[in-house]
Amino acid sequence: MKKTWFSTVLALAVIAALLLTACGATPEPTQPPVAAATNTPPPVAAATNTPPPVDTPVPPEPKIATFIWTQEFDTLNPLYTNMWFSSITQQLWNCWAWDFDEAANPRPVLVKELPSVANGGISADGKTLTLKLRDDLVWSDGTLLTSADLLFTYEMTVNPKNAVASTAPYDQLEKVEAPDPQTLVMTFKEAYAPWVGTLWHGILPAHILKPVFEKDGTIDQAEWNLAPKVGCGPYVFQGWESGSFARFVANDKYWLGKPKIDEIFFRFVPDDASQVAALQTGDGDLGTFISYADIPTLQSANVTMITVFSGYAEGIYFYVDPQKGHPALQDQRVRKAFALAIDRAALCKDLLLGMTAPAATDWDNTPWNDPTIQPYPYDPEGAKALLDEAGWVDSNSDGVRDKDGVELVLDYGTTTREIRKDTQAVVQQQLAAVGIKVNLLNAESDLFFSSYGEGGPAAKGEYDIFEYSTAFHFPDPDTADWLCSEIPSDEKPDGTNWAANCDTELDALFAQQRTQVDISQRLDTFHQITKMIFDKVYWLGYWQDPDIWAIGPTLSNVKISGATPFFNISEWELTK
Amino acid sequence: MGRYIARRLLQAIPLLFIISIGLFVLMQNLGDPLATMGGRMPTRSADRERLKRQLGLDKPVLVQYLYWLIGNNWTETDLDGDGIAETPGTRKGVLRGDFGISLVNRKPVLQVIGERLPATLLLMGAYEIVVIVGALVVGIYSAVRQYSALDHAVTGISFVLYSMPIFFIGLLSIYVFAVSFQRWGLPSLPPNGMFDPQVGKTPSQVALHMILPVLSLALISLAGYSRYIRSTMLEVLHQDYIRTAKSKGLERRYILLVHALKNAALPIVTIVGLDLPTLLGGAIVTERIFAWPGMGRLFLDHVERVDVAVVMAILMLVSVAVIVFQLLTDIAYAWLDPRIRYD
Amino acid sequence: MDSTTQAVAAIPRLVADELEAPPLTLRQLTWRRFRRHKMALFGVVMLVMLFVYAFGGALFVSEAEANYTQTAARLRAPSAAHPFGTDTVGRDILKRTIYGGQISLLIGLIAMLVELVAGILIGAVAGYYGGKPDSLLMRFTEAAFVIPQIFLLIVMAKFFGGKIPNLTVFGRSFSGSVVVVILIIGLTSWMYLARIVRAEFISLKEREFILAARATGTPALQIIFGHILPNCMAPIIVSATLAVAAAILAESYISFLGLGVQAPTATWGNMLQAASSDFSKIQNAPWFWAFPGLFIVLTVLSINFVGDGLRDALDPRSRAV
Repeated sequence: MKKTWFSTVLALAVIAALLLTACGATPEPTQPPVAAATNTPPPVAAATNTPPPVDTPVPPEPKIATFIWTQEFDTLNPLYTNMWFSSITQQLWNCWAWDFDEAANPRPVLVKELPSVANGGISADGKTLTLKLRDDLVWSDGTLLTSADLLFTYEMTVNPKNAVASTAPYDQLEKVEAPDPQTLVMTFKEAYAPWVGTLWHGILPAHILKPVFEKDGTIDQAEWNLAPKVGCGPYVFQGWESGSFARFVANDKYWLGKPKIDEIFFRFVPDDASQVAALQTGDGDLGTFISYADIPTLQSANVTMITVFSGYAEGIYFYVDPQKGHPALQDQRVRKAFALAIDRAALCKDLLLGMTAPAATDWDNTPWNDPTIQPYPYDPEGAKALLDEAGWVDSNSDGVRDKDGVELVLDYGTTTREIRKDTQAVVQQQLAAVGIKVNLLNAESDLFFSSYGEGGPAAKGEYDIFEYSTAFHFPDPDTADWLCSEIPSDEKPDGTNWAANCDTELDALFAQQRTQVDISQRLDTFHQITKMIFDKVYWLGYWQDPDIWAIGPTLSNVKISGATPFFNISEWELTK
Repeated sequence: MGRYIARRLLQAIPLLFIISIGLFVLMQNLGDPLATMGGRMPTRSADRERLKRQLGLDKPVLVQYLYWLIGNNWTETDLDGDGIAETPGTRKGVLRGDFGISLVNRKPVLQVIGERLPATLLLMGAYEIVVIVGALVVGIYSAVRQYSALDHAVTGISFVLYSMPIFFIGLLSIYVFAVSFQRWGLPSLPPNGMFDPQVGKTPSQVALHMILPVLSLALISLAGYSRYIRSTMLEVLHQDYIRTAKSKGLERRYILLVHALKNAALPIVTIVGLDLPTLLGGAIVTERIFAWPGMGRLFLDHVERVDVAVVMAILMLVSVAVIVFQLLTDIAYAWLDPRIRYD
Repeated sequence: MDSTTQAVAAIPRLVADELEAPPLTLRQLTWRRFRRHKMALFGVVMLVMLFVYAFGGALFVSEAEANYTQTAARLRAPSAAHPFGTDTVGRDILKRTIYGGQISLLIGLIAMLVELVAGILIGAVAGYYGGKPDSLLMRFTEAAFVIPQIFLLIVMAKFFGGKIPNLTVFGRSFSGSVVVVILIIGLTSWMYLARIVRAEFISLKEREFILAARATGTPALQIIFGHILPNCMAPIIVSATLAVAAAILAESYISFLGLGVQAPTATWGNMLQAASSDFSKIQNAPWFWAFPGLFIVLTVLSINFVGDGLRDALDPRSRAV
């Protein structure tokens, strides 16, 4: 039976070839050569600046910079999207009233100066804001940009016929008036401190969209949403081919001067692998949301990594509902034991290649954080002592602590991202070493982030501990996640306080800071807030989650901001 | 024949209804479409309530299905949350050709699909041609040279390829042709995308980028279908009428191409007829690996964002295509083989 | 009396000829034909080895060892300490393929059983009773058939995802998603088998031995399971064998898309998914995806060989020994 043996042997040979591929490949070194670009957690001011460009004569062909996006925009209308990959393009072709530099300081764009109590922009009672616009503002088609456009933007946001993504913070406004083309007066229902970080993120052109609204009754399906040919930024939208690319060309009517790079080309690739490949070969000049594992590969291809903080920190919330939660988590000592039992520094060093640091509170790296707070150290013995003190001992010798007949077994849930699954595995082992057993659960992100009403497991308290990257409304420190009124229930199915945390003192502090228009008062309140959250271990930080940008060697003069990354894009230079 | 076709088509209608209801119900539990509308942060509660109302997601499932099927421009919806329905709806429903608006980017669903369909058709067209030609060549050659070294080699390799998951072949081919070739300084094939945007969407670019995905897809199917053709050909070649033809002194090639090939047409019809419509849904996994902007990726992206309108449209489209192609295949069978009769 | 006994003694009797072989039963015939198929034998040997590796390996390697994370040793190439290398949190890949193998193989087998039960039940009822139930069931089967399996898998995986809690069986704890995966694979692949069973039932139920059974008042259930079903085992066996391969492949596809078995329960499929989640891993740590991939290919290949052999062995058309 020679003949069938031959096929068998051949099949074996193919398999052997596969084996050789697996074993024979030489791995790249896994520890990155620690490159010059930031690898310690940056205070926001330390985003890398490269030296100014060498004087080059203007080349005849247009300078085109290619940006690699791993998620395609869903829509470009600022009112209809919260998608990060879409909102951050607004500095290119749309305009905010003011944006934020790399130190998260606001700088005026449409307004002459930021309103304050001193210059009369903010009224004494903190409820009225007056904006004075510049008088040289034009849309890219030459039409003047006036306060009428801002008024129109406000009206479209709050009109119920438009299914906009969010009406905040315009739903806090009592009324908005435009007494003259360069002035806008906004009156809030109550003094509203978070206005700096949340107002005027993108303006709609009234002369284009008002006729659409009048004809269709809504701007939900306006053509401008997907092809905003008229804009007010340094670049103008030129085209968008679904699934492939989008193009923006320099706007020569831009009031701050024409940008240096002639064209920005966005290329959509579906995954990190393709992005890294494109950046490595120079097919792309800029990429973002780089995973830590890819950083060494990119650095060896002369790509500069810029890390900038945008208010995100990865950590776990404890579900502390007094009736439905696990009794152990009601005790502050138990929560503190968690903090001491998990070696977060090792997580940062090994899983994140030392590129970031453990987080103490969500407000790390901002002035809102109490400066005396330092992350909890790794102290498993201390954790064991605390647990013993709290009465949780292993009375039945099964390796898991218990008290009053209740075992210390908890459900730990998160999404399905690789890094989170890996973290869970490590944490499970470290907690087991101090006698706490955790069951690991994962859910796809649209399931995980579902509301209580939609059966979201985190919202419904199915997890005792849940992990994700949380943020406040950067650059404003406000967040609603700690309010008692936001605890989800059948009456309030969309509540966002999934930890079911109702601490009346904390609640009062949060209510207070929202009305403190005076910065120093607000800072003080936040120092108290952050200290309380830290001391009572309501939230345990794993690592700071900065945005990681990959800037190719061809780009220079690049500064990246956390809130408005492309704030200085008109000054970027391209040398090919 | 006409009555048979008419009967099949009529039978398809209740089938499609059952499918649409079943799928719609499945859709309801996929997750919360509003969950990811907050961008990187969970959606604010005030916005959730408002969006649910505006997008019609607060209605019971059957009502939502009804609106999907026959639209809502014959009734009024409550857009401003005061409990009184005052705004007339704008949807015409699937039965009138309106597949709705995508939740993700507010584009009409048919437009969303229309943008991605050509890319998928291109990939699938190339794949079909490669598979048909390849399977014919390999199958016929193996049948004619049965038990030769090549036959066994092909059989062995076919089995191995047939047992590989598509993404494994995809990964291997990326690793070999894109990564390793580049490392060794050889001209390498591009690992993803449809074209290099610096160069533009030229036919040569698209062709170059198509090589790896088509190859990965085709290798597996080639393995299966070449064996199928081989066994059909073997059956045919042992028939009496072939022996008669040979003894008449007809040239080998003539016998093969004219007599035997005609009988291999039936398997080809099977390949094209039953394989093609499922590929309309795009080769989901292949498109994911190779970043091909087709229907498969569209489906995955929109399932993740629980965009019911688009997902339902894709599934219904594929179902209709399957039913139509099954019918066409049966008709083709009857035409090719006069022994087959339908009443 | 005496003459009758003598007469009886005079009748020539058939004596078993020592040279003549006893007649073969069907089972022996099948086995003989199967034995001649060398690739199928190779497949059987391979499968036995794989089962020993996955289940026997558990005797040498404890589950705790397979899940032991050591982040400082992440992504090491194959070496003496870790023959298959380590993954992103420093777990030994060899040990994980052992435990992953158990789950993958179990999923394949149990999904096949689910499919078998569903397919046989539906096919039998439709084929035996005919008429209205047949029409209804066949419409239902067609509806399920029309939608390609991968779509159904994705939709159902999200439908059931996260709904089933972790289970503890035989002292090992599994993620609830194992049950989900088994269910959805089983529930999306029974259609083909149902059609085959129905076709067999339709042709067999008109045979005389069935008419006889009905005439003697045998209850329908016994006719179906005791008389007809044993006679159409051949296509069912072949189908079932190939179904295991299809189930293992389906599990790897759905895990690759991230919707399959969730961590920390390992399967070959989700190890592949973890290994291809970013480009640097594909490029720099090929051992991470090559080994699980290899195991999947070997398993499916062996099953395909065995299925091929069984098909030839059980084929009623070729009666040659």
